[in-house]
This record gives sequence, structure tokens and C-alpha cells, in this order.
Amino acid sequence: MSTNFSVVGKSLPRSDARIKAVGAARYCDDIIRPGMLFGKILRSPVAHAKILNIDVSKAKALPGVKSVITADDTLKIRFGNWRLVPESQDELPLATDKVRFIGDEVAAVAAIDKDIAEEALSLIKVDYEELPGAFSVDESMAEGAPVIHEANPNNISLQRKIDYGDLDQGFADSHLILDNEFTVHATSHAYMEPCSCVAEYDHDGRLTIWTSTQTPYFVQCLLAQTLGMRENDIRVIKPFVGGGFGGKMELRKWEFCAAFMARETGRPVKFTLTRSEELTTGRRRHPMKIRSKIGFSKDGIILAKEFTAYLDGGAYNSMGPTAAFLCGNFGGMLYRHPNYRYNGYHVYTNKPPAGAMRGFGAPQALFVAETQMNMAAQELGMDPLDIRLKNAMVTGDEIPGVAKISSCGFKESLLKVAEMTNWREKRKNLKKGQGIGIGCYSFISGGVFNWFNTRYNFTRAEVRAFDDGTVHLLTMASDIGQGCDTVLRQILAEELGLEVKDIRLTAADTAVTPQADLGTWGSRVTLMAGNAVRKAAAEIKEQLFKVVSMKFDLNVIHDMACKDGRIYAKNRPDRGIDFGEAVRLAQRANRGDPIIGYGSYTPRNKGLVTPAFSFGAQVAEVEVDLETGAIEVKEMNTAHDCGTPINPMSVEGQLEGSVHMGLGYALSEQFIMKGGKTLTSTFLDYKIPCAEDMPPGKSVHIDTYEPEGPFGAKEAGEGLVSPTAPAIADAVCHATGYRCMDLPITPEKVLKGLGKL
Amino acid sequence: MSLPKFTYLAPASLEEACGLLDQYQGKIRTKAGGTDLMVRLAQRALKPEYVMGIRNIPELEGISFDPDKGLRIGAMALLSEVADNPVVLERYPMLSRAAKATATVQIRNMGTVMGNICNASPSADNSPTLVAMNASIVAVSSAGERQIPIDEFFLGPGRNALEATEIAKEILVPVPLSRSGVSYQKISPRSKVDIAAVNVGAMVVVDEQGTCQQARICLGAVGPIPLRATSAEEFLLGKVITDEVAEKAGALAGSDASPISDVRASKEYRRLMVIILTKRALLEARHGTGI
Repeated sequence: MSTNFSVVGKSLPRSDARIKAVGAARYCDDIIRPGMLFGKILRSPVAHAKILNIDVSKAKALPGVKSVITADDTLKIRFGNWRLVPESQDELPLATDKVRFIGDEVAAVAAIDKDIAEEALSLIKVDYEELPGAFSVDESMAEGAPVIHEANPNNISLQRKIDYGDLDQGFADSHLILDNEFTVHATSHAYMEPCSCVAEYDHDGRLTIWTSTQTPYFVQCLLAQTLGMRENDIRVIKPFVGGGFGGKMELRKWEFCAAFMARETGRPVKFTLTRSEELTTGRRRHPMKIRSKIGFSKDGIILAKEFTAYLDGGAYNSMGPTAAFLCGNFGGMLYRHPNYRYNGYHVYTNKPPAGAMRGFGAPQALFVAETQMNMAAQELGMDPLDIRLKNAMVTGDEIPGVAKISSCGFKESLLKVAEMTNWREKRKNLKKGQGIGIGCYSFISGGVFNWFNTRYNFTRAEVRAFDDGTVHLLTMASDIGQGCDTVLRQILAEELGLEVKDIRLTAADTAVTPQADLGTWGSRVTLMAGNAVRKAAAEIKEQLFKVVSMKFDLNVIHDMACKDGRIYAKNRPDRGIDFGEAVRLAQRANRGDPIIGYGSYTPRNKGLVTPAFSFGAQVAEVEVDLETGAIEVKEMNTAHDCGTPINPMSVEGQLEGSVHMGLGYALSEQFIMKGGKTLTSTFLDYKIPCAEDMPPGKSVHIDTYEPEGPFGAKEAGEGLVSPTAPAIADAVCHATGYRCMDLPITPEKVLKGLGKL
Repeated sequence: MSLPKFTYLAPASLEEACGLLDQYQGKIRTKAGGTDLMVRLAQRALKPEYVMGIRNIPELEGISFDPDKGLRIGAMALLSEVADNPVVLERYPMLSRAAKATATVQIRNMGTVMGNICNASPSADNSPTLVAMNASIVAVSSAGERQIPIDEFFLGPGRNALEATEIAKEILVPVPLSRSGVSYQKISPRSKVDIAAVNVGAMVVVDEQGTCQQARICLGAVGPIPLRATSAEEFLLGKVITDEVAEKAGALAGSDASPISDVRASKEYRRLMVIILTKRALLEARHGTGI
């Protein structure tokens, strides 16, 4: 591994930092087009009902209203991200015969201003025949439960299985068996920028849509499908996006409505959701009921594990099928599980659909798995650190039929975080009310799976080199705030021996950037798009090396280098020229053809899950007020392995964001629901941790090199959200004796656990 | 969401303001910092034809202390001004604590203590200490001025004792008696920046032996208005406030409260927190008496 990098590994400021800091970045809702209309969605006020009749005549008659649509105006084509399994595509752009949750989209209005659009909504009359609803997996799976989708009479929309080894033998050989049920709750992505889009239809019949999305290509394809248009007639542009966390990776119904009504009216149409719409009807993290049975030998070696998850999917599949699979994958990760069986059931309920959210099934699985490791340590009289070290995966380990671990710094992370926090000492010697606890994680660096059934490479890059010493990188990789615009430029600059400022970037515009890229999710971008960029750079270098070699009449055995803005023979640095000059010569040799390189990446021979796994360990220190149950997280320390960090400052930012989100998941964030109604409709009651709640803490990066990653890099943004809740739960248990098995850990639960309430 | 249409009025004197209230009775809302009002307008929860901003009225400004009359908090004194005011910090530190516990930095720099009181939310941060310290609100109309004891000011959630033609001019807080102590306790269990699930203000006055001569305890967020814990107060009279006495008073306050369950806490948890916070408030207040 070479560490002699010029640009990679440097904490360079993000290329979007300044424009965002000064407030000049234009997000979707900032876009104003001539003659633009404002759209609003009419949502179902009931959780489960037949639609008997919709009367839009009064709304249409309201002055200023330019379009009112219901399902009957549309082609009624089902859609969903799981194109590989068409029967999983269970959503329609607008509800037809039935509504299935409070917030289900029934009609849409476009008017000359927002107030008129709002007023028009109140003039639409919908007759519903209410049906009984089911609001938990238990209610949905009960005998005689209301059927939410006719195609799934038992309300289970799909089942995922993982099975290897001999489970019965493993349990038979076990000295200790724990068999526990856990529940984990739904949380909101709570991205800073609510969803927004502007659609415009031009005289040539092309539809352009600016949208706050993680996946421009998905939007393009699924819009084409639902509108009955050709993919290439639709142009999707991603402006600055204020966060996604998995909540913006599908075609959303207002995107369809904006496009449909722009085509119908010939005027641009904008939709921007309110925060309250986001909180009460938007996608959320899957609540789950998980049963985990695990067997250990006398000295704490895992012998068998049976993991069963019931995902409360809400009214539609959304990204549930993927979450169901990843939950099972991460139920059996981190440690060697010789015998493992997973069954995951995706269950429909009459609630807002759950979807992808940072961790994608892993935070739920790891809360359970890590809590159970801590329980087992307690039962066996072991230090939670030691039981982990005994079972930890190492480089080269295989998950049968699923994946091979190509790099793993897990044990090193465990030892490091223990050293950083003085773990062994503190675990023995804290006062009552004080606690220290541990949680660990692993995550994927992008998925190998192709549920979207793309016909293209997973990612692709185009690099154009210019004789002024600059290059232009074109990619559909989508920066949604995580920083890939900067990281991909760093990778390209490193490859070509240039500086980041020499790289111009055009990204995430389906009309001009190369087809295609699956978008930003599953921590895939740095590894996958990074590899595509490296390959494109290699094609550029190949062309430039030729002309430099010819110019200096170099012996064929010479190795060539790109560094510090020059192309030269490695062992004879004097024999070289500036990058721009090399481009000029190459273009001359091409008789004018520009110097362009293409690169693409699709994982090959990487099993079923991912090209590379990240690992890490986190330690929480808490203080619990034993009278009020209030929990204060005093410190949060982390040691983690993300391969080579391309931009350490960006990794640090991801870590802090993860701790913040994990803190909310563990302690304060939850949807309070009554039947199908979400009562926590604003940030006053949907409680995200504030700056003052953030604990101090350090993070240490464990140095590993991932052979499949660009410059050895792998996942850094998503996995870190998983260890926080189990670490805090363990610390609370250490402080009080109360072991939380149903998130979030509220003061009331603590006091109940202590018998004080 | 956009604001509904209304006419904005900005009187430059109290007299002018009272005239406007007379003129547009029932159609006008008074706006101080606007941190509650503007949100409710945007939600269409209120639809006044006129909004009267009182920022330009000099009589409503400022915080002052008079050794005989006590503390005066003008209607336009910001939460952050009260929180950081040297006189408040020196003589009424719990009023500062309560102001500082209200919402966020941004809101404290816009909103006022008077606005927080007039909004009459049962969970308002500034009510319990002002009730405990026996404050009063000065109301002005074109008919003249009157002083409303704070015990009579709150009528229900969002409802106060002001007449439609009145404007709340200032809050008066008496000079703290010798050997008195005050405390403000709040539990917002989910975050350091949070609306109170329960809050408690307490003031005790003791004699030289430490025997309780006077006690005022106010419980927030456990009833339709900030509630006096009268049985706890009566119990304390004539007793030295030991840990045990404080605990018993806490238990009595728990039965004085009438909490409900909502998205922020269950009624059982709220009642328990009344017990714990009252105990803590009494112990801190006792400590503050210096006896």
C-alpha cells in the first residue's frame, strides 16, 4: 500500500462548503420558473378505506386553479424500486380504489399560488367507506386481520431467508442459550431539506425535472414507466440536496404529479412538502419485532444463532425487501456464526410506509445482536470486550455463500476503543448512576444486488482532459450532502497528478452525465463511483503516456507517472512535460479528437451482498438520574475501519452526524401514534437531539487497506449509525441494572425498569 | 406556510396602542416577540384582521429594580435580556434560570417573558417562578391601569385575565423577603433544549430557626394552568424543611397535580416528577434562605 498520496487522505475543505455556508447554494425550492404553478397533494385522512367517489368539480372551478388530477386521469401504472420482482411494485401514483394509510395520496392540485392550491384541496370531496385497520405486525398477522393488499391475504408481502450450517447441532452443543424478543421503533430521516421538485415540459416534448433526490436514474426510469414516456424524453437534474439518509431514493408521488401536471398545463409545476407532511406521512425507518436465539460454548464462543425479524412495513413495500435482507445479513455479521438461520417477514400495516434509512436494516439487527452479546457476557461472567474479541471476524473470513471479508479491522477497533476509554478500569469502578457500555457495527460498501434491474453498469464516469491543464469529470453520482463531489474530485486529482481545483465537475444530470449510476444509498458511492473514476483516469493516462514516451523516445521498460501537474518517466523525472502540454500533443496526434476517458464499475465475484465491509466499535459513557430516569450521554468514543479515508475531515463529519442520529434513535426520537395517526407532527414533539445534547468524543481510524476500494477506501457514512443505540443501552444497564429491549430508552422505561414507576 | 393577510399596526405610545385596541376590539392581536403568535398565524389557528406590534412603545421597554417596589420587567424585555440582566442575576437568579430554560437562543433573542406569560401555556417556563414569587401583571387600557395578581392571571390553556381592550404593560415582582429562597426545577427528559414535561417553582420564607413561615409552590404542565400546590404549602407551614419534610411535601404536591398523558409524558410519570421536582425545589429553596 502506497501512502505517498498528494490529494487522497487530505482533509481538504468540501467544494460545496463555502456556497452552503454563505447561503448561496440553490436547493430545489429556490428554483423559480416563468409561469410556475404550485402543487399540493390531497391525502387520505383515514387509515384504511374504500374510495367510493371523488368529486373535484368545485376545486376545478376555483379561480387560479390550473389542474386537478386523480388516479382516473392517469395511466394507473404500478411502480416501485424492486423492478426485478414486478409483483413487489405495489404503489400507484394516486390511489384508485383504496387508501391504506393516513397520508395516502389521493389527488393533486396545481394553482397559481400555494394558498389557492391549499384552498382547492379543501374543495375536493372524497367519499370513503372506512375499513378496519391493522397497526402493528401482531395485528396484521392475527387471524381475521383486515387485508391491506388483495395480493397478500396474510399481509406478509415477502419473506427473506438466510440459512447455513447445522443449527440444531449448534444449539445442542451450547452451554448457554439466550432466547429474547426485542422491539425497535420507527424514526424519521429528518433531512434538513424537505422534499421538493419542479417539473417543466418543453415545446419539443421533453420533460425536465429538478428534484431533491438521491437517485436521479430511478426517478427517470420510473417516471417514464408511470407517465408512458420514453426514458430519454425525461431529464432529471439533481440540484443541491439537503440530506437524504435513504428517504429520497424512490420515485415520489409528487414528482409524478408535478411531471404529469406540467405536461398537462404546459406550465412548470413545483411541489414542496411541509415538515409536518414529512413527519406524518413520509418514509421512516422500519419498526421491527425481532426474536433472537443464540447459543454459546462455556467459554463464550458462538455456536448457533436463529434470528427472526418481523418488519412493520407500513402500507407499501417501498425499500422493505432490501431492509428485510440486510437485517438478516447484519444479524449474522461481526462475529463468526458457524450455524445461522434468518427469517425475515415484511408485514403490511395501515401506517406510513417504512423505507430505506441510514443503515437499511442494520441498526435494528445490530441493536438486537449487540445487546444480546452484552447479555451473554453478563451471563457468562465475561467482559463484553472479551466475548467480542473471541468471536470477532477477521480478514479472510467467509460468510458461506454470501461474502468473503476482504479487509477487517474489527479486533483492532475493539482494542483501540477500550484503550481510548480506559474501558476495563471504568467497567469495574463506576459509581451508581454512572455507566459505560459498548456497541459495534459492520456495514456494506454498496450492494452487489440489482433489484432495480438496471441494464447499465452500476456506475460510470467520463473524464475529458484539456490542454489548459484542467479536466472535466462527468458522473451521475449524486452528492446529497455526504461529500462525493469533493471525494471523487480528490480521487481523480490524485490519479492525474492534478489539484482538486483543476477538476471541473458536472454531476447528476441524466441528460449530460454518463448512463447510469444507481445513486446514493447503501454507502456505495466512494467505492463504486470512485473505481469508475479511476478507470476513466487510467484511459486518459494511457493516452498521455504514449505521447510523452514518444516525445522523449523512452525505452519501453519505463514506468510513467502523473504527479504535481506533470507527466514523466518515473526514474527520469526530467523526461516529462506539463499535463496540459501532454494533452495538447495527444490531441494533435489524434488530429483533433478530444482526450476522453471512460470508466465504469460493477462488482464482480463479490458474492451476494457487497464488495467490502466496514467495521468498528463504539463506547458510550452515561449518567442516569435515578429519580427522574433522565439519561445524559457524557462521552462517545469510536474506533473504526473504513479502509483508507479519502478525506478524513469528511469521515469525521459522517461520524459526528452518525452519533447525532444514533443518539436520537437511542433516546429521544419516536413517532407517537394513535391508530394510524402520527401525533408527533412537528420538531417540537418529534425530538431530534440538539447541539447541546451532543456528547464530546474522539474517533480513531484503524488503518486498513481494502483491495477492492479506490486507494483502499470503503464505507464510512452509514454503518456508524448502528453502534450508538446498543452502546448507550449497555451503558444505561451498567449504570442502573435496567436492560432496554425495546427502543427508545425513555426515562419512563428506565424508572419502570427500576420498579419506581 | 405563508402568513394570512392582515394589517400591521405599529403604535409609538401606550396611549395610541390602547386607542387601537378600542377601535379594533375582537379583530386585533398584540404582538411582542411574535415567536408564538406568528407560528399560530401561519397555522391559521388565529385569523386576526389586525396585528399590533408593540416594539416601538418606549414605556414597555426595560428591566429595573426599586428597593421598595421590587423588580419591573417591561413587556418588551426579551427572554435573553432577563436571563442575562445583572440585577435579575443578583436578586432574582431563578427568574434568570427560568428565562434561560425557555426554548432556544434564537427564540430567546426574539421572544419576551411577558409573551411567555400572556400565552398562558400550562408548560411555560417563566410562570412557575413568577407565581412562586407572587408577581403581578400591570394591565393598561384607555380606561386606566390595574394590577392583576399572577394567581388570578391564568384562566386556562391559552387564556389569560386581560380584557380585549387591555395591553399587558409590565410584570412586577416583589422584593425578596429576608430568609427567603427560591428554586426553579424543570424536567425535559428527552433533550436539553425542550419544552417542559413538568416544571416546578417554589419560594419559602423561614424564621431564624429555619421554621417555614410562608411557602408558595407552583406546578407547571400538570393542569390547565400553572397550579398552586396548596396542600404541600399548608403542610410546610411551621415545619423545618428537612429532607424528610421536603419529601413529604413533594408527595402532597403529587396529589395536588392533575396531569394528563400526552405525547410528551404519561400522567403517571408526570405525577412522579412533580413529587421529585417539588422535593428538589424545596431543598434548593431552603438552601437559598441561608439558614
